[in-house]
Amino acid sequence: MESSDAALVSRVLHGEVNAYGALVSRYRDRYARYAVHMLGNREDAEEALQDAFTRAYRSLARCEDPERFGAWLFRILVNRCRTSGARRVRRGQTFVHDDGALMKASEEHPAEQTMWREEIERAVGELSPDQREAFLLKYVEDLGYDEMAEITGVGVSALKMRVMRACDRLRTLLREVHSG
Amino acid sequence: MAEWGRTTLEMVVQELQQPVRLDASFERRVMVRVRRVYAQRRRRGLGAWLGVASRVTHHPGWAAALAAGIVAIVTAGVLRSRPPVSPSASSVFEPVQFVLVAPAAQSVAVVGDFNDWGLNDSALVATNHQGVWSVTAPVPAGVHRYAFVVNGKEWVADPSAPRSAGDDFGMPSSALIVEDSTK
Repeated sequence: MESSDAALVSRVLHGEVNAYGALVSRYRDRYARYAVHMLGNREDAEEALQDAFTRAYRSLARCEDPERFGAWLFRILVNRCRTSGARRVRRGQTFVHDDGALMKASEEHPAEQTMWREEIERAVGELSPDQREAFLLKYVEDLGYDEMAEITGVGVSALKMRVMRACDRLRTLLREVHSG
Repeated sequence: MAEWGRTTLEMVVQELQQPVRLDASFERRVMVRVRRVYAQRRRRGLGAWLGVASRVTHHPGWAAALAAGIVAIVTAGVLRSRPPVSPSASSVFEPVQFVLVAPAAQSVAVVGDFNDWGLNDSALVATNHQGVWSVTAPVPAGVHRYAFVVNGKEWVADPSAPRSAGDDFGMPSSALIVEDSTK
């Protein structure tokens, strides 16, 4: 039977460091998706996720509800992605797509589907970090506004505004692609 | 493209919800970092780690139980064979058998300066023979320090060997001198 998050956290806190591997395995792919879309490329996303897992390990004793380790870890990741995104803006980098993933997608999907995916990723990358974060949390991670507020520390009404503006912006960007 | 609306939003979300699969090495890379943190904590002493654990998990008797466990292991006695003594370090590897009698243990591993103190999965895992745990491994000729790790957390010096002059990481360790058989 699969161990609960709380059981694994307890084992790690008692010195069984390898039990942490089960938690990494449980959440790695699930949270990689958020990091990739938020940061725009796999390399930064993997670095952010590795860092989030390491920070979570360092602070594991401060995880107040080990049964909700995943939610706690996700909050760390969201903060880490914000920091990484801010660094990227300061460096003046442009949004970089995951060329490896696109190449893989082109092998698995028809050309039209690949183009559609590319357009979506480009449009999501054009959103401001705040709007992108809110949009991904709401629609891709399927969180409620209360959960989003808990994770981001931003008020519900502000989050709703960001999601609405993100949708408006995406609509504009995707229409521009097709009208141009 | 269809007019923007609920349907298009669903298409966008559906695309973004496609799973992202990380390279198989990701978990290993994370665990390398995690074990590094674990080793740093060990260097600061087991007390700091236990202090963290007991504060959160509320096991008031844990430290006492651990101490009792170590005593039980140390007093159980040890069977051990070692190569003869040699003062010099060498690139020649010699087989060394590590043995610890610990009937109550769930696992025993050997860590030392010859395997980077168990970092990166390099700990030597001993096999249980009715409470007598043993593992044989090639160790470079020379002077080494090592210890047993019982149940993945209890750091125990070899009771049958001399204690190392400078215990690493604030933890007990034993001295081992491996002779170069080619000389």
